[in-house]
Amino acid sequence: MKQPVGHYAYESRDREFLQERIAEFEDQVKRRLSGALSEEEFKPLRLMNGIYLQVHAYMLRVAIPYGILDSRQLRKLAHVAQRYDRGYGHFTTRQNIQFNWIALEDAPAILRDLAEADMHAIQTSGNCIRNITSDEYAGAARDELMDPRVHAEILRQWSTLHPEFTFLPRKFKIAISGSPEDRVAARFHDIGLLARPSENGPLFRVFVGGGLGRTPVVGQELFDSVPEAELLATLEATLRVYNAYGRRDNLYRARIKILVQTIGIEPFREAVKAELAKMDLSHYRLTPERVAAIRARFAAPELHAVDDADAVLAQHQKEDPDFARWVQSNTHPHFDEGYSIATVSLKTPGDIPGDVTAEQMDGLADIAERFAFSELRVTHLQNIVLGHVRKDQLYALWQGLKELNLAAPNIGLAGDIVSCPGLDYCTLANARSLPLARKLGARFGDARLQEEIGALSINISGCINACGHHHAGHIGILGVDKRGSEFYQILLGGQAGDHASIGAILGPALSEDDAVAAIARIIDHYLAHRNEQESFLEMVTRLGKAPFKEVAYETV
Amino acid sequence: MKRLSHLSPDECVLLTAARLLDGRIVWRGQDGRWFDRVAQATCLTAEESAAALEEATAQAARQGVMGVYPVVARKGAPPQPVSMKEHIRAFGPTVHPEFSYAPQPEASS
Repeated sequence: MKQPVGHYAYESRDREFLQERIAEFEDQVKRRLSGALSEEEFKPLRLMNGIYLQVHAYMLRVAIPYGILDSRQLRKLAHVAQRYDRGYGHFTTRQNIQFNWIALEDAPAILRDLAEADMHAIQTSGNCIRNITSDEYAGAARDELMDPRVHAEILRQWSTLHPEFTFLPRKFKIAISGSPEDRVAARFHDIGLLARPSENGPLFRVFVGGGLGRTPVVGQELFDSVPEAELLATLEATLRVYNAYGRRDNLYRARIKILVQTIGIEPFREAVKAELAKMDLSHYRLTPERVAAIRARFAAPELHAVDDADAVLAQHQKEDPDFARWVQSNTHPHFDEGYSIATVSLKTPGDIPGDVTAEQMDGLADIAERFAFSELRVTHLQNIVLGHVRKDQLYALWQGLKELNLAAPNIGLAGDIVSCPGLDYCTLANARSLPLARKLGARFGDARLQEEIGALSINISGCINACGHHHAGHIGILGVDKRGSEFYQILLGGQAGDHASIGAILGPALSEDDAVAAIARIIDHYLAHRNEQESFLEMVTRLGKAPFKEVAYETV
Repeated sequence: MKRLSHLSPDECVLLTAARLLDGRIVWRGQDGRWFDRVAQATCLTAEESAAALEEATAQAARQGVMGVYPVVARKGAPPQPVSMKEHIRAFGPTVHPEFSYAPQPEASS
């Protein structure tokens, strides 16, 4: 079989491992259904295989390592959606996909079907190292310093079934980027890695102790320049310190961010160094040969741009303003002048953010095969990226997306709303998030209006666990429960990236309709009073929240 | 959840659980059997619900359900759970009307 572009190609031992794991889980499911295992006994076993019990049914979360899929895998996900679920899947803010209507008795068969396409659900739950996330423009962006995916794969292999880190105090999330622009929210992860090349090989800037949830914290720099050879040892030592000293007595105080906040970054760093001093570093050394062996399992796209690609694209843009608008918002510079990175918005106005039907999945697989070397990337902002599209083919690509109702020109704009599933599907939620996302999406759905507003991120979470990353949104919305009724807190000024900051709560929580109206007034105020070229976030930073609070609550 | 000791005259208690096989929501109805429609749930007083909960929990594994707990609902046909979470469990996700479990009573619209 031809090696997939963009992600690691499984070896036979990888496939054997998956089959062994599925057989083990199949036996566990049988014992649960026969009553030999109680729910209390079975719960940790199903969670280790990505199966939750949610509001309406079992939910299966499938891992998409560093967000990369090939078309064969997307077709398999479409098959799972169609055969075992209700014809759709939901892409999450962790670059995974969830199926909301799974029957437990079908779970082993689903996992076997997924394994046919080298996919699984291992470590998508539980207190272990979760799916490693990465930059959706990896290996394609013009501004990239270093493709982070080979190291993301190395981390995936290191962390999978790691015997020391299977029962950590809490879940552990790692993100890695190789771009000067932090597109992975590195400072909001338990560990965030920013890779860069040097004369002596790759170096890694390591952030630790970031996270959102109940206690939002911006991660702090642990080390500035970890050499490639010491990357695994450094992570191993960091995890060991967390495993030893992280709290296990209080669920809400168990993440590494609490440990780092409690003891301080300096003592934490010293503890990691002390652990490193005790370790046999040769055992963990990441040699150039080991890295090369992993890199060899990745296929690179064979780029062949045509000479007049720019002229053809310019002509298409001139002839079709709707296409021109989409190019403006949904494409990103590729390192090859003849190519573009195209982002497919999963935020069609009025639809549910991140939801994709089986038909759309199959259609996207067709498009990826036709235009993008069969490769797709799931983003932590719940969109899909096609990494390498010839500029002269963008118009045909866009027309194909229009047929799938996936051509919304709104990436990075008001309609590009990030949302968790909320109370409609999640047992942890206090309030619904999806109806609010749909209302806001429809309210700001007009492409011209979004263009006028400019860069704006709206993030919605249905509870304090913050799966919708509401603290990191320029406008964040948190659903809360007040005596059985849903209300929504508005936050302003959050952002991920190099200048990561946590949004400030604007005032008392509002009803759903009042929250939509308040956000509309906030945006109106921005449009009326912004300086020339001033973005929404810049204006919030300049003026603070006071003037926005005044307009948000003026009629409440 | 609303406290069972503070039920108003038009409220009652339902027992609910998840079905082991597929995780679907079920409601305890006639003869202690479990149904997937809230319309078939038995409306209990607070006093009745304590004994019923004990009995249902004891029988849960044998009946293929798990996580039995009480839910406060307004009486009616069908009864209407008062909290949004239980309303969604009873009638389906609000964002996917095609997946709704049952027609909602007019009062809930």
